[in-house]
Amino acid sequence: MLGLQAISAHNGWAMAITGTIIVMGGLSILALIISQLHKIIGFFTNKKQDPPHFVQPPEDIDVLNDPEAAARMYKPLTADLGDSFQLADLYRVFEKKNLPHPHLTISALRDAGHLLPLGNGLFSWKK
Amino acid sequence: MELFIEFLKNTGYYLADIRYVFMICVGILFCFLATAKKYEPLLLLPIGFGIIIGNIPFFRGFGLGIYENNSVLHYLYFGVTSGLYPSLVFLGLGAMTDFSSMLARPKLMLLGAAAQMGIYFTLLSALALGFAPKEAASVAIIGGADGPTSIFLTAKLAPQLIGPIAIAAYSYMALIPIIQPPIMRLLTTRKERLIRMPDTERLISRTELLCFPIIGVILCCFLAPASIPLLGPFFFGNFMKESRVVDRLAKTASTSVIDTATIFLGFTVGASTQADVFLTVKSLGIFLLGSVAFSIATASGIIFAKIMNIFLKEKINPLLGAAGVSAVPGSAREVHLVGLKEDPGNYLLMHAMACNASGVIGSAICAGVLWSFMMR
Repeated sequence: MLGLQAISAHNGWAMAITGTIIVMGGLSILALIISQLHKIIGFFTNKKQDPPHFVQPPEDIDVLNDPEAAARMYKPLTADLGDSFQLADLYRVFEKKNLPHPHLTISALRDAGHLLPLGNGLFSWKK
Repeated sequence: MELFIEFLKNTGYYLADIRYVFMICVGILFCFLATAKKYEPLLLLPIGFGIIIGNIPFFRGFGLGIYENNSVLHYLYFGVTSGLYPSLVFLGLGAMTDFSSMLARPKLMLLGAAAQMGIYFTLLSALALGFAPKEAASVAIIGGADGPTSIFLTAKLAPQLIGPIAIAAYSYMALIPIIQPPIMRLLTTRKERLIRMPDTERLISRTELLCFPIIGVILCCFLAPASIPLLGPFFFGNFMKESRVVDRLAKTASTSVIDTATIFLGFTVGASTQADVFLTVKSLGIFLLGSVAFSIATASGIIFAKIMNIFLKEKINPLLGAAGVSAVPGSAREVHLVGLKEDPGNYLLMHAMACNASGVIGSAICAGVLWSFMMR
């Protein structure tokens, strides 16, 4: 059996439509829940909600196209890491301080030679 | 002399025919693509070498082949046929996934759902072409662009097709840079590709990251209990990561466990492509339908994003729809690159990763749904 006849005989239309509805419905409900999750958590923790926190690029620096300026700005922020550090730790600092595009910024800093590999997965800022 | 001739008759050189040679060439091609072109090397390399091993002809009855009881390869292959390896891969995948970008942009999850339309379109196409329902469901799941999910469902429904379906699924995942960009360009205008997504995002709290895997596993697995073997470990792995109290376990899941599972999964799937069981007309049909499934999945996501734009004030870049397939992170990277080509300042990667993550969940739900349909 082939063609539309085979689809009908094996209940294909019903399976396709039901399956589509289940997946769309399931993920829509999940999306709806997670979009409200912070409000639900806020309600239960009974804390005053902070205003929404937005990530803003520091000053007017184009961190991706001007790694020189980015390095100047970010170097002091990572003083706690010491002279050598792992990129994962640097990423965490960038993320904690809400700096934009942490992955891409680190990549741009590496490409521009501002982050120098020391071996064993450690890096340091260019002196 | 007679003994020597008998020995020669038992060698692979004597037993080989053109089919085995062809498959070994395919294995070498996979190894070449993995090493020289760096196309999905973590997958193509073990599969490619497995294909070479699996297609060395041998004297039947020695307990050597993957389909012979008590052979070493047969025991390793048990992890595929039982669905063990895909579950372990999902455990590691969960421990590696950062859901914060998805939690910050929940509406993009819908694109991950829309991209699963390729699965159901292919189900209908496969049925129309004469595949049995269980085989059609196994072929259709290739549209999810998720190798472990495809292998898992095929192992449950049509184990005889694991070889071609796994090879098709992983091949198309490796060919994302070739398959997806033309579809993206065909279905979007330059103006649409230039749409910039807002750079600002809500900061996701640790509590949200902790709650998500629990909410996700309950909601998805109650909806489609057959997806428990995939989504259960997936969300468990993610919970370990986000809890930050079992770093050792999370690290093991995201490194040793997933690496071990990937090695054995790829190698044994490759070895299961013995020429005599792999080179069939059905395999050719699977490859053709697989490419259709993958293309339709990509197109569905893009078209759905365009439909969403009709209703949204803040427009979505429709390229993101292509990242709704669950090939992580290949499709997200491709969306990002296509966006960058149009506008070097347009960074779509994090938005695309949100679609990608929801695509993983969507395709696992689809697998569970199809499995439960076929169990009736």
